[in-house]
Amino acid sequence: MLAGAGLIFALVMVLLLLAFRPRADVGDAGDVRVWVIGLGLAFPMAVLAALLAYGLVIGEKLLPLASDDVVRVGAQGRLSTWSFTYADVPNRRTQDVLHIPAARPVDVSITTADVIHSFWVPRLAGKLDAIPGRTNILRIEADLPGTYHGVSAEFSGTGYDHFTFTVIAHDAEDWDAFLNEDIE
Amino acid sequence: MNALERHRKLTTIWASEKGFKGWFSTVNHTDLGRMFLVTAFFFFIIGGLLAMLIRVQLATPHSAFAGPEIYNQIFTMHGTIMMFLFAIPTFEGLAIYLLPKILGTRDLAFPRLTAYGYWCYAFGGSMMLVAMVFGIAPNGGWFMYPPLSSAIYSPGINTDFWLIGITFVEISAIAAAVEITVSILKYRAPGMSLDKMPIFAWYALITALMILTGFPPLILGSVLLEVERAFGFPFFQADLGGDSLLWQHLFWLFGHPEVYIIFLPAAGVISTILPVMCRTTLLGYGWIVAAALALAFLSFGLWVHHMFTTGIPHMGLAFFSAASTLVAVPTGVQIFAWIGTMWKGRPELRLPMLHLLGFFFTFVIGGLTGVMVAVVPFDWQAHDTAFITAHLHYVLFGGFVFPIFAGIYYWLPHVTGRRRFFRLGELAFALVFIGFHVTFLAMHWVGLLGQRRRIPTYAPEDGWTAINLISSVGSFVLAIGIGMILIDVILHVLTASRGRRNPWGAGTLEWAMPTPPLAYNFASLPHITSRDPLVDEPDLAVQLARGEGYLGTPRNTWRETLTVDIASGKPDMHVIYPSNTRLPILMSAVTGVFFVSLLLKFYWTVPVAVIGVALLVWRWVWGLGRGADLAPLSIGHGITLPNAGMTDRSPGWWGSVFLLTANATFFGSLLFGFAFLWTVAPGWPPPVWFDPSMTELGAGLSGAIIGPIAMRLAKSVNGKGRNSVTGATMALFGAILIGVACAAMMWRTPSPVDHAYGATLFVLGSYGLFHACLAMLMTSFLIARIVRGFTSAVRRAEFSIIGLWVDYTSVIGVLVLLAAHLPGVLQ
Amino acid sequence: MKDIFRILIAPLVWFASFSAVYGLHGLLCGHEVSGVVLGLPLERAYLVAAYVCAIAVQVVLIVALYSSRLASPSPFVRFVSHATGWVGLIATIWSLVPVVFTTYCG
Repeated sequence: MLAGAGLIFALVMVLLLLAFRPRADVGDAGDVRVWVIGLGLAFPMAVLAALLAYGLVIGEKLLPLASDDVVRVGAQGRLSTWSFTYADVPNRRTQDVLHIPAARPVDVSITTADVIHSFWVPRLAGKLDAIPGRTNILRIEADLPGTYHGVSAEFSGTGYDHFTFTVIAHDAEDWDAFLNEDIE
Repeated sequence: MNALERHRKLTTIWASEKGFKGWFSTVNHTDLGRMFLVTAFFFFIIGGLLAMLIRVQLATPHSAFAGPEIYNQIFTMHGTIMMFLFAIPTFEGLAIYLLPKILGTRDLAFPRLTAYGYWCYAFGGSMMLVAMVFGIAPNGGWFMYPPLSSAIYSPGINTDFWLIGITFVEISAIAAAVEITVSILKYRAPGMSLDKMPIFAWYALITALMILTGFPPLILGSVLLEVERAFGFPFFQADLGGDSLLWQHLFWLFGHPEVYIIFLPAAGVISTILPVMCRTTLLGYGWIVAAALALAFLSFGLWVHHMFTTGIPHMGLAFFSAASTLVAVPTGVQIFAWIGTMWKGRPELRLPMLHLLGFFFTFVIGGLTGVMVAVVPFDWQAHDTAFITAHLHYVLFGGFVFPIFAGIYYWLPHVTGRRRFFRLGELAFALVFIGFHVTFLAMHWVGLLGQRRRIPTYAPEDGWTAINLISSVGSFVLAIGIGMILIDVILHVLTASRGRRNPWGAGTLEWAMPTPPLAYNFASLPHITSRDPLVDEPDLAVQLARGEGYLGTPRNTWRETLTVDIASGKPDMHVIYPSNTRLPILMSAVTGVFFVSLLLKFYWTVPVAVIGVALLVWRWVWGLGRGADLAPLSIGHGITLPNAGMTDRSPGWWGSVFLLTANATFFGSLLFGFAFLWTVAPGWPPPVWFDPSMTELGAGLSGAIIGPIAMRLAKSVNGKGRNSVTGATMALFGAILIGVACAAMMWRTPSPVDHAYGATLFVLGSYGLFHACLAMLMTSFLIARIVRGFTSAVRRAEFSIIGLWVDYTSVIGVLVLLAAHLPGVLQ
Repeated sequence: MKDIFRILIAPLVWFASFSAVYGLHGLLCGHEVSGVVLGLPLERAYLVAAYVCAIAVQVVLIVALYSSRLASPSPFVRFVSHATGWVGLIATIWSLVPVVFTTYCG
């Protein structure tokens, strides 16, 4: 996408520079068909149709579609802390640290107890808002075990800059240990 | 009469009061345009200083420069000032200054309304400044999302300043938009048909129509949120049947068109200046008009792309993603038509052209990143990061500030009648250009690295320190550049170096007059036969000064002009403008009392202010009347025209049509909000429904039938020269019936603080009641007019205008009452 | 005024149908709808039917704007109204195309 944008930008700039070249045939180059219909209409429409199709297909793939081994967790934002719950361990609740298994799809049910927040773990997925009165479901997946940085990405007043959390992705063994409450 | 005598006579008729007193009583568009522009640039400087504070804060990690409370105010005010107090007023000022001149007429349609709009802007803007000085400025971000901005999470007065101050300022936007629309459609030089209109007028017309339909959703949102904050009506509280997403829909239903409301006037400036700088004419005039129209419409179908992360189903997002990509097409048409124009002519690197090149470079990048964020998955990552901040600055600085700088340098010789003496502008441009790109390219980068927008501090571990420092250094270079432009402009104004007329060799009419412009613009009005009158007739200015055009002979002490048929440009009415008056500033001051009372919760002064405004409006309109018929008047060249007061489609009628367009959009947004809450919000159905009453419904409906019929009757009786007071009284009675039905509905609605259903019904009812009162006031006014002998079969304009408002009141009255009573009747 | 109307009508109708289909989609997802019509799930069938209607209306508008009886006497207004007519049609086809293939709720 960046390369394409760079090319289009370069094209426009070259056309702009060429307008300054000295030339004799002033007045003849102004052809509406070339500039308006060709470059103005046909060219962007072709590029944009391709881009739109690409974006929609990717968007479809990111949807939380039904799958066998989905792990369900809950994330509730509250000024300025996140608390997480786990469908597999009903009584478990963690503050500011979300535990997930690596290499398995995880559906996060996002809610809020006060104002609008946004759940964002940049390396695992895009962001999704926590809206009062609603539950939004975000599909995330960590390919490898490790620690991932998460932030609240909707402005929520003072303290917004420190409103962050951590996601720990466990390998299968550690995840079992977590489920058995061996890991705090 | 020779040219000098004509000039003296016209000047005594048209001149504003001398000295600073004149500021308060002037209704002249040149004066008010300049006042708008100077005030808007004053706010631009303030907004720019706030931007500098933001960059100081972010230059280093763990910055302790401003605490989060202050920092939140700074960035909220930066966005608010730049959007509402700089960008929109700059368009208004430019259009107010330029349009009558470029259209070949003497003033805008409603001179006193221009002044009223200016003073609302000045007073509303001052309110925001006062808030800032006292450290109680809005702090919830310029889009004020509830529940963060609701009374629970923002208990202070900060948010109220935003909601009330901005609504006050928006009166000026709506006033200017009505004025600009009517002026462009009707107030043109004879012969200027739609296809001969200067391209700037097309852009201004489209922008004004967008303001009329884009601002009402925001005004509604602000009203609802303020009512929620002040009285606890839960429109945006999920647990009481409200929904915070309703705010986001209303806000962005305004907010996205807003971007194009800002860009289109700038595009009008580009389309005007670029051909002159290239010694040619615009390529594809018709295509550009169509592209601008397409852009205006498509921009209303993009608002949800600001809400891609709110959890709307993917197909909903897909609609808006598709529409968002499509909007790039008409933008592309314009960009390539402009480059084609350059190829067609011989571009010269003069100062305005430099800024236009700055526009191309910057705006194309902004457009391309815009297409990127239109792609949903990309936006899920980029949303609410510094990448978006950088993108929107590329669009707005590239798409608005650079073209406006080009416009300033292009029209400054027109405003001052002088030429540039010191050559600071070129260096200033270089600094602005370099500074801007350093600042915001860096910001794209740091956004992609994950820096959120609106954070006051970050940690060194984040790895953003160097980039932020680069960005801050760039912003200071940018600020120095803008400071130099300011100095350049001031020096230009101060140095007495007389310029020559039409220094750029332009073809449009604003250069067919002496500079600085005279109070009356043209000593006589030209007849237009092409799009570039000055190219065909280089000494047009002299011919007009000699009085060879229309209305060349001053009559009585009248400020005269004429209007034309919209499509063909054939003259159709003679108009006499009101002269200097302090009524507008007085009325905006009383309007200000209304808003300040709401802000400070002095509710007992609210009705006083409302009655004050009503009395002033009465006086305002009363002054337009005539005690005797006016025969059709000669405008020269063998044409006679009826005076506007002796027609059915007077300027007031046109103004009412477009004001009602905005009003209908407001009402439509309210109905949308009702339907949205009903179908989408959690917490529905409400615990109790409204108890329908056939008596109240019947009373309201019969009022809605009586009013329009009675007005038509009154008009027809008056047309036959008979006394029409019975019809007008019947119309008054109809309005009273609607008012009573709406008041009863408000009285009996389920408690508006317990559920959003009751709250919405209450607001619907007050909307109906307000319009019923307005219709009562207007029909009473008409009765007074008839009784005092101000109407006749010829003097009939007021019947059509008031008829329009009575019809509107009846339609919305019926809809309001049905919305309340029908669900109960059906159950 | 008639000329202004000719120029604005097609994109106005696009905006109306765009909002209507978006609203319909919101309603279908907010309320349980089930059933199958012509091998399509009921939701999809409704949306596609609305899509086809919206396009049909735009086609009718274009035909009207080109017809000698309804077109403007001014060549310039004819040109602009034809252009905005096409804008309405293309915008309808383009912006509502997701009804055909994207997931409707979720």
